[in-house]
Amino acid sequence: MRGANVSDRRFPPLAIALGAAIFVLVPLGLSLADSGYFFRLAIVTLIFSILALSMQLITGVAGLLSLGHAAIYGVGAYTAAILSTRLGLGPLLTIPLSGLVSGLLGIALALPTMRLVSIYFAVATLGLGEMIYVTLLNWVSFTEGPLGIGNIPPLRPLGIDLSGPLATYLFVAVITAIAAVIVHRCTHSYYGNALRAVREDDQCADAMGLNVVRLKIEVFAIACFLAGIAGALWAHTTGYVNPGDFRFAESILILAMVVVGGLGSVPGAIIGAALLLLLPEALRAVGEVRILMVGVVMFLCILFLPRGLFGEVSALSLARRQLGAAWQQDRGVGWR
Amino acid sequence: MFDRFDIFFVQQLVNGFSVGLVYALVAIGFTLIFGVLNVVNFAHGEIYMIGAYAGLMALIFLAPPWVALLLIVLAAGIVAGVLLERAAFKPFRRFRDEASLKSKAMRESTLLSSLAVSIIVREATEKIFGADMRPIPRAYANALQEPILIGELAVASGQLVILGAAIVMFLTLQFILFRTQIGLSIRAVAANPLGAQYVGVNVDRTVIATFAIGSGMGAVAGILIGLYQGTIFPAMGFAPGVKAFVAMVMGGLNSIPGAVICAIFLGVSEAVATEFFAQGWADLVAYLFLVLTLIFFPTGLFGAGRERV
Amino acid sequence: MTTTRRTLLLAGAALPLAGAAVAQQRTVTLGYQLPLTGEFSQYGERFRNSAIMALDAFNRSGRIPAQVNIVFEDTRSDPREAVAVARKFVDNRDIVAVLGDFSSSAAIQAGRVYAEAGMPQLSQTASHPDYVKISPWQFRNITTQAYEGPHVARWMAANGVKRVAVVSIQNDWGQSVVSNFADAFKATGGEVVATQMYNPGNREFRAVLTDIARQRPDAIYIGMFYEDGAAFLQQRRQLNIRAPVYGTSSMYEPKLIELAGPGAEGMYLSTSFMAESPEAHVKAYVEEYKRRFNSEPNMFSAQAFDAVNIMLEAIARAWPDVTRQRVRDELARTKDFPGVTGATTFDPETREPAKTLARMRIQDGKFTLIQN
Repeated sequence: MRGANVSDRRFPPLAIALGAAIFVLVPLGLSLADSGYFFRLAIVTLIFSILALSMQLITGVAGLLSLGHAAIYGVGAYTAAILSTRLGLGPLLTIPLSGLVSGLLGIALALPTMRLVSIYFAVATLGLGEMIYVTLLNWVSFTEGPLGIGNIPPLRPLGIDLSGPLATYLFVAVITAIAAVIVHRCTHSYYGNALRAVREDDQCADAMGLNVVRLKIEVFAIACFLAGIAGALWAHTTGYVNPGDFRFAESILILAMVVVGGLGSVPGAIIGAALLLLLPEALRAVGEVRILMVGVVMFLCILFLPRGLFGEVSALSLARRQLGAAWQQDRGVGWR
Repeated sequence: MFDRFDIFFVQQLVNGFSVGLVYALVAIGFTLIFGVLNVVNFAHGEIYMIGAYAGLMALIFLAPPWVALLLIVLAAGIVAGVLLERAAFKPFRRFRDEASLKSKAMRESTLLSSLAVSIIVREATEKIFGADMRPIPRAYANALQEPILIGELAVASGQLVILGAAIVMFLTLQFILFRTQIGLSIRAVAANPLGAQYVGVNVDRTVIATFAIGSGMGAVAGILIGLYQGTIFPAMGFAPGVKAFVAMVMGGLNSIPGAVICAIFLGVSEAVATEFFAQGWADLVAYLFLVLTLIFFPTGLFGAGRERV
Repeated sequence: MTTTRRTLLLAGAALPLAGAAVAQQRTVTLGYQLPLTGEFSQYGERFRNSAIMALDAFNRSGRIPAQVNIVFEDTRSDPREAVAVARKFVDNRDIVAVLGDFSSSAAIQAGRVYAEAGMPQLSQTASHPDYVKISPWQFRNITTQAYEGPHVARWMAANGVKRVAVVSIQNDWGQSVVSNFADAFKATGGEVVATQMYNPGNREFRAVLTDIARQRPDAIYIGMFYEDGAAFLQQRRQLNIRAPVYGTSSMYEPKLIELAGPGAEGMYLSTSFMAESPEAHVKAYVEEYKRRFNSEPNMFSAQAFDAVNIMLEAIARAWPDVTRQRVRDELARTKDFPGVTGATTFDPETREPAKTLARMRIQDGKFTLIQN
């Protein structure tokens, strides 16, 4: 009984459908269309899926609102760019190293800021993100500053040429799938339950014997590791990085993907990324009001589906469960 | 090192103080709205922008006297604020239980609904007026951009106007909050929305009133700063909006005086940092102060010590 | 937008039937990637206006027995979208050459796609030194700072400036403003007493100005776009700093004076385009632009106008064999093209344009030409 149930739960139909789409339908369709444009869109969507997945881990599961995620992603991209152009390392080394650098940076940033809660944490990450951006922009001798780093070699691990569109797509898709599995395992396990407990009520979780600060730092590090990998993939598939690609607006975009897709849901993150990246392209036909239309769609999405397209829990039931936990009259909410 | 502390350094303090006042003007309305709803209003920068454009249109087509101009802008801000509340915040209060105002998922939804509204407003403004800076009729621009020399120090007339506006706004807000009926209900809802409802406060009306007051002030800030800096363009609300947000959090979220003090501190630290680093790095100093503040004062400098928001 | 798209579709459908050899109903298609939404949309708007003007004139002239089309695609000057649009243009076999993008970073990221696919790209504004080094497929129609910097440095030296402070935006173009100018100015025996780079989006220059004022420079050289420049000039006046300001050609824009008011008075700048030029073709361009779009052309619109014309010229020379390769080769042969921004020649090796610069000063609220 146990075995059957577990395997049932391990492969929900939505995940299977998504997996089939990513590995079979999309590459098939793209190959038939033989369009570099659609391949490019698919690759960027996958890279942002990784970012949305990592954001999902921080915000959806652990309940920490991060506004500096794009900067972590940028550090990953710059690590890959610098390692491959100056030291000539191949992507098999630069991609994991970028993840590692971003992950370690994540730990370094998390250590002092983890005791901050909710909006204080959000603003601390905003500040750290801007600091990283300003550093990338102004440390000209190391990052080339606003000139950016060009001529980053495309994906050619171990001399195998993966720079063609289909090969690049599949390479990125495999990494995205691995990231999805990692996030899924972090979410749907006792570990994930512990994270949710921290999200719902960190003091209560603390009282239950969970090491809240350690959990938060761990999950932040994992998410930053994934963001760094996404950055490395962006650097290798685009060939040029510039500090302007990793600004605050990009962090907000990633957050919007997670919220539109549904907080706490793994397929939701991927679908949210696809929606917010492909919508502006699909709306090219409406001309210059397309970004306005994206705003409208985003607004309607949030208005009618406040729990997101594939939310783990509806906001309402989450609110109900928080009743009592979040309700503390003597906390002195309001001004003095 | 010490040769830095000359008249130019004093000038730098004046510069920083005036930048800080600009942030403070934006932060006042921002903090007021946050206090009541516990939600970041990402569209506050757009209200600020709407105020500037409404004022500019009034200047071009009506050329009203100053008092009338401010009243027009105030009205525009109030209307925009009430509409914003209707569109982006009201729908999320359909869940009337007390926890929904405080739940994480709800807050993030509302945060992004105001973000979506701000994208729509900004893009629409770009479509209507163009993305470039709007020139301001000379007669009005000159009034706020004239240099005034005090010994070796130089200030602009606009800086004095902004100082005055900040003082007036701050005092008006304190008066409204602590001396009027509506202020009482705003404070009640901010402290405890459910409790306020139990004792007969109309929460809906109070929230609308808060938006009206906060947005009216945001709009007036927009036109004054727009005229003084001569920079009126669709994305003008973004940079001061972020700094106001930072100032509010440094100040401890629920303290309007705290937000004002931190805004001025941010402005001064940016200007003084320019004395020692290249301007490009000066931004980093302001954010460094933010992070340090939060590390040593996890609930802000003037926070009420509430642990969870 | 929709009509271009539709004609494009029709042309695409007709092409396989007609075959390339039948020249009668052929359509030559160009791609133009530019920011039409977002914070840079004002520039994209100007580029599109100029491109439409150039295109209409070319199609009316009947120089080749075919219609030329331009497909405009919005990129917001965002590298993510720029690369996607580049892929889109490469996919479209009808497109023989591409114009744009606006910012260097978007142009470079798109340029890598074009280099790989073999598509000629001509940007009206990309000034990054590495841009033309991507591949032999990249061209630009902009006076690079490698020419403008030394020009201004010599001009200042001739005006007796010994100590100069440089303020510039922190982007790739700003970097080249500072380095090219500083080297040339030192060569004239002058001294650069302060260099300040400010982050894009910052329009509060009082701190920078105060810091500069302490060094008591004879002049300030500013490398920024006109909106930042207007704020800078205004704040300089408010702080009562008397040192004269020299600006880059990017500041040549009538709106600068409207925005900065009395603050702009007395500023020096060099430019390759002058709306008041007595030359007939410049006059015709300025008048038509004003009539059709109800606004004044500036440096950027003029650069786009010339870029499109240089491209069309290359197509006319390549006719009837209009392929991506032929258009590139003909672009590389551009010599003494008489544009509104002066005569343009592409260096066959580096593909860098050579241009001439005029000197101007803002006096009594007007840009006035200085006779040397």
